[in-house]
Amino acid sequence: MTELIVDELITQTANRLFSEICSHEAIQNAETAGEAPEIWAAYTETGFPWISIDENLGGSGGTLLDALEVLRLIGYYAVPVPAAETGILGGWLLSEAGFQLPEGIVTVLPDQGPDLAIKVDGSQVSITGSAIRVPWARSAEIIAILFHDDGNNYVASVQASDCVITPMTNMAGEPRDTVRFDGVVSSYAEVSAAIDAQSFRLRGALSRVALMAGAIEKMSQLTVSYTNDRVQFGRPVARFQAVQQHLVWAAQDAALSRMAAESAGIEATRGNGAFETASAKLIANQAASRATKACHQAHGAMGMTQEYPLHHYSRRLWSWRKEYGGDAEWSQWIGQLAIAQGADGLYPLITGGSRVL
Amino acid sequence: MRFNPTELSTSELALQTEVRQFLKTELAPGTHEPCLGMAARKDKPFSMKMAERGWVGMALPKAWGGSDRTAVDRFIVVEEMLRWGAPVGHHWVADRQTGSVILKFGTDEQRKRFLPAICRGELGFSIGMSEPDSGSDLASVSTKAERATGGWLINGTKIWTSGAHENDWFVCLLRTSSMEDGNKHAGLSQLLIDLQSDGLEISPIPFLDGSHHFNEVTFNDVFVPDENVVGDVGMGWHQNTTEMAYERGGPDRWLSPFSTIEQLLREAKDTPLEQSVQSLFGELIARYWGIRNLSLSVARLIDSGEAPTIESSLVKEMGTRFEQEVIEKLVQLIELEYSPDSHSLFERMLSQCIVTFPGNTIRGGTIEILRSVAAKGLQGLPV
Repeated sequence: MTELIVDELITQTANRLFSEICSHEAIQNAETAGEAPEIWAAYTETGFPWISIDENLGGSGGTLLDALEVLRLIGYYAVPVPAAETGILGGWLLSEAGFQLPEGIVTVLPDQGPDLAIKVDGSQVSITGSAIRVPWARSAEIIAILFHDDGNNYVASVQASDCVITPMTNMAGEPRDTVRFDGVVSSYAEVSAAIDAQSFRLRGALSRVALMAGAIEKMSQLTVSYTNDRVQFGRPVARFQAVQQHLVWAAQDAALSRMAAESAGIEATRGNGAFETASAKLIANQAASRATKACHQAHGAMGMTQEYPLHHYSRRLWSWRKEYGGDAEWSQWIGQLAIAQGADGLYPLITGGSRVL
Repeated sequence: MRFNPTELSTSELALQTEVRQFLKTELAPGTHEPCLGMAARKDKPFSMKMAERGWVGMALPKAWGGSDRTAVDRFIVVEEMLRWGAPVGHHWVADRQTGSVILKFGTDEQRKRFLPAICRGELGFSIGMSEPDSGSDLASVSTKAERATGGWLINGTKIWTSGAHENDWFVCLLRTSSMEDGNKHAGLSQLLIDLQSDGLEISPIPFLDGSHHFNEVTFNDVFVPDENVVGDVGMGWHQNTTEMAYERGGPDRWLSPFSTIEQLLREAKDTPLEQSVQSLFGELIARYWGIRNLSLSVARLIDSGEAPTIESSLVKEMGTRFEQEVIEKLVQLIELEYSPDSHSLFERMLSQCIVTFPGNTIRGGTIEILRSVAAKGLQGLPV
């Protein structure tokens, strides 16, 4: 098996760019304004949004693992852009259907409720109904919609300007808009049978796992540095065992979720990785819950202010842990899969993962 | 701190298959009562059978009877053994740490004398660290080794010594010179002591359920010849810290309840499991996958020549707490009044876990001490 590794240049460039453009104030301003066109513009200049997508369709080439590394750093710096939606989710759907990528933002419908009716009519589809919690719909050029019709899977490429968009936000003030389709007509194209609702949901989960791993690591580092600077009783609070417990637990959750994200990313890049992705999302969800608690506790009152940056990460994590599947969904999914392996198959599943399924 | 994802190579996967086949033949499910992790039964014939395959002391050089394999190879053998609940108690300590310590710090004489016998699965070792007044503050040990003609005279007491009543040798951290001002780590040395020595007395300390693992070992003028000093006199603390890196972070710190989980599923057979139990399995399997990846990456770090002290402390602290969490969740979700002499193997194993697992976060360094080691590392302070 060939070893999959991330191009180091990607990590270096992303680190340099994001630390320049993504100050505490810039993230705060983006939240207030509901979008960040300057940050998006600087981000697109690198070609990062379209990593892993075929160059012939307007992509930047590279692997899914490379794209996930950028997403990890997007999470680490809380960069306020629809990176996952434009790239490995929306961009992926469009390119799989053979559409040329647009220059602007692409988004997707994370939860396709039953009140969305997509009717195929010759070379076009007509869409009626509404969708909620659509990331950055207000700034999007295209909404890519995966749908199933008569035994086949298709992707519709919808002009966002044809829809009625009501701005809404998640816990971190990131755009999660309501989109209404009043008989919107759009083009569509078929995708392979492998691109179905489950593989889309897993890919969404994978994107959140990468973002979450970055955010947990950043929170953990902020906490180490804050507790070293903060002096009480004549010494840095990090010297107290009770505080050290929080540092250690947050560092473990950072390590655990990054390991899970990268391991799942490797399997997904090889083309499968459902077990790994589901496990990684469950791990990251639970790690996010524990680590936000530990990091906030170690920061004391300072962590509860808008002035101090901890909330950029903690509030994102509180939202991301529920996007593309919370604990209940994935623990049930993995549990059924595991139990079906039988007692003797449990450990081989842990060591072999998707490859033994 | 960095844990790199790593995968098993083709030859490593072949080893995994070989170990699984060995276990299926030697300890067919249903024919043996699985042990709970490293607190496993001592079964010398089983240890010697493993040794015939080259699986005891396997990371030691061929020149000393080992197999020149890697820390990752050892990880593969150990995880399969523990997962199966194999009786690895006899060779456990020698395989995990004593062999490496003698290889790293011992003389050629000592290597020749001990390593081939370890690799044949013959010798059982105990560890002599804690004393009645020195537990977490290990550097305060006061059992003395005083100069005598051709060796040392030992006086004092070691405590919580697992298996001293059954093992052959005892690796002890002893005070060979008095504490220097401001440096209590100086003046400590590691000595190899024959557990059959004159003046050495072993008294059982019954475990809370009445079983016998622990002992108190008292030294009354026990003579230890010079050739049994491991490494340099006065370097015991450094050697001991290095030894800890081998001791922490491996599969023995998170796999102890696994055979119990398997047994639950085995006894459930075709009974449909409730949704809450399905979710529990999902949670456990996902966490096991994640923790195993971290632990495996520590083994790779060891193979690349690093001493991953912080990483292994983090994994051990997390792994042992996870072991307790697993049992707590099983107790919460499975409605039964478990009993240690139930007809159900699962119930017997669960009972055993409940009674013994509080010790998992204590043995080999309490989690409080591990947190302090890891927290210093996170802050870039010397550990």
